[in-house]
Amino acid sequence: MSKTAHVSDSKQAGSANAEPAVAAVPAIIAHNVSRSFGPRKALDSVSFKLPDRAFLSIFGPNGAGKTTLLKILATLLPVTGDGTAQVCGFDVKSEAEELRRRIGLISHNPLLYRDLSAEENLQFFAELYCIPNPKERIDELLEAVELKHRRYDVVRGFSRGMTQRLSIARALLPRPQVLFLDEPYSGLDPHASDILDSLIENIRDQHTFVMVSHDLDKGLDLASHALILSRGKIVLYDRCDHLDQTEFKKVYREVVGLGVS
Amino acid sequence: MKRELQLALILAIVGGLLTTIAFVMAFTTASMQHHNTVVNAPGFIDTVYELAPPQLQPNPPDGTVNYHNPWFSQKIFYFHVPLAQLSLLVFTIAAIFAGLFLKFRDPKYDIRSRIGMETTLLFTIGTMISGSMWTRASWINSWGELGRVLLSEPRLVTYTVMLMFVVAYFVLRKSVEEEEKRAVYSAVFTILAWIIVPFSFAYTRLTQEHTAHPTDVLQQGMDTSNLIPFIIAIIGMMAFGYAIYVLRVAEERKRAQLALIKEDIEDKLADL
Amino acid sequence: MDAPNKDMNSSKSTASDALPNLSSWRQYKALLRKDIAQEFRTKEMITSMGLYGMLVLVIYYIALSRTGTDFDITTIAAGLLLLMIVFTSMLGLNRSLIHEHDQGQLEALLLAPIDRPIIFLAKATTNLLFLLVVQLVVVPFFYVMFVSGSMPILMGDVTPGPWWKLAIALLLGSIGIAGIGTLLATISVNTKGRDFILAVLFIPVMFPLLLVLVAALNAVIVGGTGYEAEFWTMCAAALGFNAIVIAAAYGLYEFILGV
Repeated sequence: MSKTAHVSDSKQAGSANAEPAVAAVPAIIAHNVSRSFGPRKALDSVSFKLPDRAFLSIFGPNGAGKTTLLKILATLLPVTGDGTAQVCGFDVKSEAEELRRRIGLISHNPLLYRDLSAEENLQFFAELYCIPNPKERIDELLEAVELKHRRYDVVRGFSRGMTQRLSIARALLPRPQVLFLDEPYSGLDPHASDILDSLIENIRDQHTFVMVSHDLDKGLDLASHALILSRGKIVLYDRCDHLDQTEFKKVYREVVGLGVS
Repeated sequence: MKRELQLALILAIVGGLLTTIAFVMAFTTASMQHHNTVVNAPGFIDTVYELAPPQLQPNPPDGTVNYHNPWFSQKIFYFHVPLAQLSLLVFTIAAIFAGLFLKFRDPKYDIRSRIGMETTLLFTIGTMISGSMWTRASWINSWGELGRVLLSEPRLVTYTVMLMFVVAYFVLRKSVEEEEKRAVYSAVFTILAWIIVPFSFAYTRLTQEHTAHPTDVLQQGMDTSNLIPFIIAIIGMMAFGYAIYVLRVAEERKRAQLALIKEDIEDKLADL
Repeated sequence: MDAPNKDMNSSKSTASDALPNLSSWRQYKALLRKDIAQEFRTKEMITSMGLYGMLVLVIYYIALSRTGTDFDITTIAAGLLLLMIVFTSMLGLNRSLIHEHDQGQLEALLLAPIDRPIIFLAKATTNLLFLLVVQLVVVPFFYVMFVSGSMPILMGDVTPGPWWKLAIALLLGSIGIAGIGTLLATISVNTKGRDFILAVLFIPVMFPLLLVLVAALNAVIVGGTGYEAEFWTMCAAALGFNAIVIAAAYGLYEFILGV
């Protein structure tokens, strides 16, 4: 819980329906977001607001709807029913294309083409986002993720950590305002995980983050806000500096069941 | 629920009754036909005579026609044609529900579309069985000839393609695990199939030379004595088909409810 | 690491006002270039399809080895050619979508600000391109091995039409296979038993197209007087089928991507 200085409008965090503070527009507004197929509800009327430049960690047991929520906010899945969600001020349904230019996703899946080189991968995505001067931007990013020396190598030969770094570069390519992280640590060795930590730490100030995680400690370390989902419903949503960590862990353990640290 | 079942039961009885009546009428009141003229020579001349391609006619048309079962062959008409028409109708309904599903994403439309496809399967198989009986009875001398006829008959080819579509549909459903994905894929495939079936008919007709069906009977209309059992059969089968549909929809709904209750109980047990 | 990282995020929230214009054409080109670059590097689709086509030719050789010299192969040549094309293209279609699937790449495409139909069009275009490249190699082989040296043609009993008509028929067939096949392969790649499902979906859907395609090919190969009318009728039929069904596939593709 290092840098919460940017979260200036934090009064409302405790309750989902509170008014946002003046000045800053919330980065994410979810209102009654549901996702269901028939009687089965993956998400059930989820409402919350997240201020700009915050870091939200979403916790919950398997099948609680964490990834579904992330995918809805990232415009990959539609909302069912009459709920609405806005990210960066754009509606996920009606303004999806505008929104897509302002978000990035770092997943446990690298989302890269393994038979193309690091540079070719970034070039391809730069073209998709129609980025002007793609060369400069790619140079910057490769430098930042320390892959400049491997730029002409095929991704297939990369280690898990290198692939993940490249996938971060890919996500940052269009200078997204909101970054979604879908269990970015899974499958990383401790060293690669440290590098990822420091990368996120470095860009922490400039983006809004939404992370889905299984790892409670890691998630709480980074987060400014925490949300626990269970069976598609919000069990707890609060600012991290309001939270008592032991209390939080207790709630989490109750929701997830036994056997969690 | 209860009212639905009552309705289904009534429809099934009425449908069965009407079909039986049509069956009896076909053998009693309906007159024999020969090229739009009523002839009083039962057991002698068949509807499809002269309409079948010459090489398939077992005997030269010199009056000494020797069909295997002309009397029976003409009676099948009253069941074969309604079945064929209804299977197309039900297929269309399944495609409409598929479209509704894609629009509204309501699983009830998916279930209806799927049951529509089941009914299509039933009617298509019925069509093909009755059709092959007709074929066999009227102008096929040996089973060896059957293959050649089947491969060049536009209507039969169309129904074979439709059968392939229905089978593919269920294979596809079986192979997708996630519910919504399964429903969307099936709906997309149903619509695509529905667009393609007319092409199958038209293009088989374009590339193959002849038809074995008495098309002029279908085009020029029938004698009243033939038309009555024909219409009764259509209504009867429609009622019967709809009864099956209602029953299956009710069953599927109960099944879904049961699954939910089961999940609930499991959740509660886990909480204890 | 600090210095580059500052650059990395030189955009502030005001950057949203200065976002570049999106160009569908540029995205389409990028998608094509990516598929082609990938294929150049791995040569996976073209080699596997080409090799498979050649193996089918070997099977034909074995199957026809006892037919004798009087056997008029021109009557079945169109069917043999069709068989080869259907099998090789099903193999290729499957491959082309697996590339988008195994690392979740499709998700990255969907996350980018692209019109969904552009993804469909690009994929269909590259599939068509690869099908044509393979046919460019395999079809002449087939023709030389089985058709041009056959007795009826050598004796002058059968005079096939010009090669470019064969090419037109094959092009029409490939357009249909690539266009509709892209939709079917996107469905089947998300199922258990991909290859099998693709075949089960592919055959009934392609049935009318294959029927007229084989008639067109047959008209050219058998030739003779008056074959032209039949050839052009069949080509028109194939064109009609392609236009309507590809339009439907184009419209339906978005639903497949949306779940």
